[in-house]
Amino acid sequence: MIEPLTFMMGKYAAVLPTDRRYCRNHMWMQPADGMQRFGFTSYAIRLMQDVYFLDWSVGDDTNVKLKQQIGHIETSKAMSDLFAPCDGMIVRFNPSLLEDPSAINVDGYGNGWLFEMQATGVGSMTVEEYMAFLDAGWEKTQNMLKGHM
Amino acid sequence: MRRHRLTVVLSQAQGKHPGKRALEESVVAALIMEPGLDVSVIPFLYDLGPDHTGRMFLESVKGDMVVLSWLFPRAAFWILDRDGIRGKHGESLIKPAADDDDDTPETPEASKGIGSVNVPDRHIYCLDLRERNNHEPYVEEIRRIAAESKARAEAKTQAAAASKPQVVDLGMAFLKPTNGHANGQAAPAATELKFSQEELLKTPGRRWYPVIDYSRCTNCMECIDFCLFGVYGLDGESRLLVENQDNCKKGCPACSRVCPEQAIMFPDYKTPAIAGAPVGAVGSLKIDLTRLFGGDTKDAVSQAVAERDRELVADGRDAVGTTVGLAKRQSDKAETPKDDLDNLMDALDAEF
Repeated sequence: MIEPLTFMMGKYAAVLPTDRRYCRNHMWMQPADGMQRFGFTSYAIRLMQDVYFLDWSVGDDTNVKLKQQIGHIETSKAMSDLFAPCDGMIVRFNPSLLEDPSAINVDGYGNGWLFEMQATGVGSMTVEEYMAFLDAGWEKTQNMLKGHM
Repeated sequence: MRRHRLTVVLSQAQGKHPGKRALEESVVAALIMEPGLDVSVIPFLYDLGPDHTGRMFLESVKGDMVVLSWLFPRAAFWILDRDGIRGKHGESLIKPAADDDDDTPETPEASKGIGSVNVPDRHIYCLDLRERNNHEPYVEEIRRIAAESKARAEAKTQAAAASKPQVVDLGMAFLKPTNGHANGQAAPAATELKFSQEELLKTPGRRWYPVIDYSRCTNCMECIDFCLFGVYGLDGESRLLVENQDNCKKGCPACSRVCPEQAIMFPDYKTPAIAGAPVGAVGSLKIDLTRLFGGDTKDAVSQAVAERDRELVADGRDAVGTTVGLAKRQSDKAETPKDDLDNLMDALDAEF
């Protein structure tokens, strides 16, 4: 694999592997078992920090639409609803995370994957495009962290 | 050596929350036993009007002061500033639950703000009573502050003694052996002015107005342009001023949302950042990342526009949407040519 890229979040370096594509909702995606596997990027994980609780509001084999709400996450620093990264069918959610979501923090690009999906019409980005996307949004994100949503 | 005294003021919570009252009482009971402190209790700081005895009492304090309140320290500090009760910012060690990693947004930036004016040479420490649920940490912290304050005063006295004929200083000491403040400003102790306890604690009516953090405010005037109720104005030196605070619409924090520096606080507002929370997560309060992860929550400006329209309509005026007071932002937007990233985003949006 080619050296991963890193996006500097202040002093923290968010690692972005080059062996996958990226979505605007800060998930990565990678082909697996004839489907696409999705997980959080290190950028998202850094913002959230330790994941305490993960809950999916839809089950396996569910057809979803882009930006449809599919779950909720609570972490040491944040909480958020979670949304489908594209249209398609979510075939299965990572079962081990429901027991213990800490794999997201420990191995976000590996065992901490979130779900596998038959994805259609995915608007995904290359790692370079995602870097540029993060760069463009970084000031806004920092303002948002200051809380003025 | 003259005795050094530190003024400690506890500002009560609004209403009669039994848990909060209990903490207030135990903090005061413990502090009264401490030597070298002048302890007073006043109602909720934000609500004190200029005629309230509590406010007059605060104005009478000239030396270092600790203010305990149910407000974010930044809010309490700038409410005092707003009331003309100024001092240097005293750093408290009571902070939100340990955040010892290198959180990037916490990195102190050089202050871009225009700052306060006529700041006297004394320190004001603001402690948030929501940070701990028993009195010990507060008492301990106030002991530490008292020692810090005393050391500073002694250093100052020594410096003054070195530069002045000593006899003057000694004379002063004989005149006021107990109540004189070591910083030489000869402030009367709280009790000396005889503010009646009853007057001091009289419940003030609720108030609602913006509080400006001048360490952040850059005088950009976006708030003056945006607020259509005439709350903001300029002082004699063309500095932004909350001129007509009673024009402010209760519950509306719209100007705070449009402020590019997050310099406007509404200390009573439910959202911590608008109420003056420090940057980032506050204790158990968490950041909502829904928007970042693709949710369709409104951005700050649309929310502010909606809030303003609601108040305009409630006043029998016409809603103005985004047509008024956003000129700078709108023109900025139009003038910037689209770059590659914009094009990329557009393409992605089209694809979505």
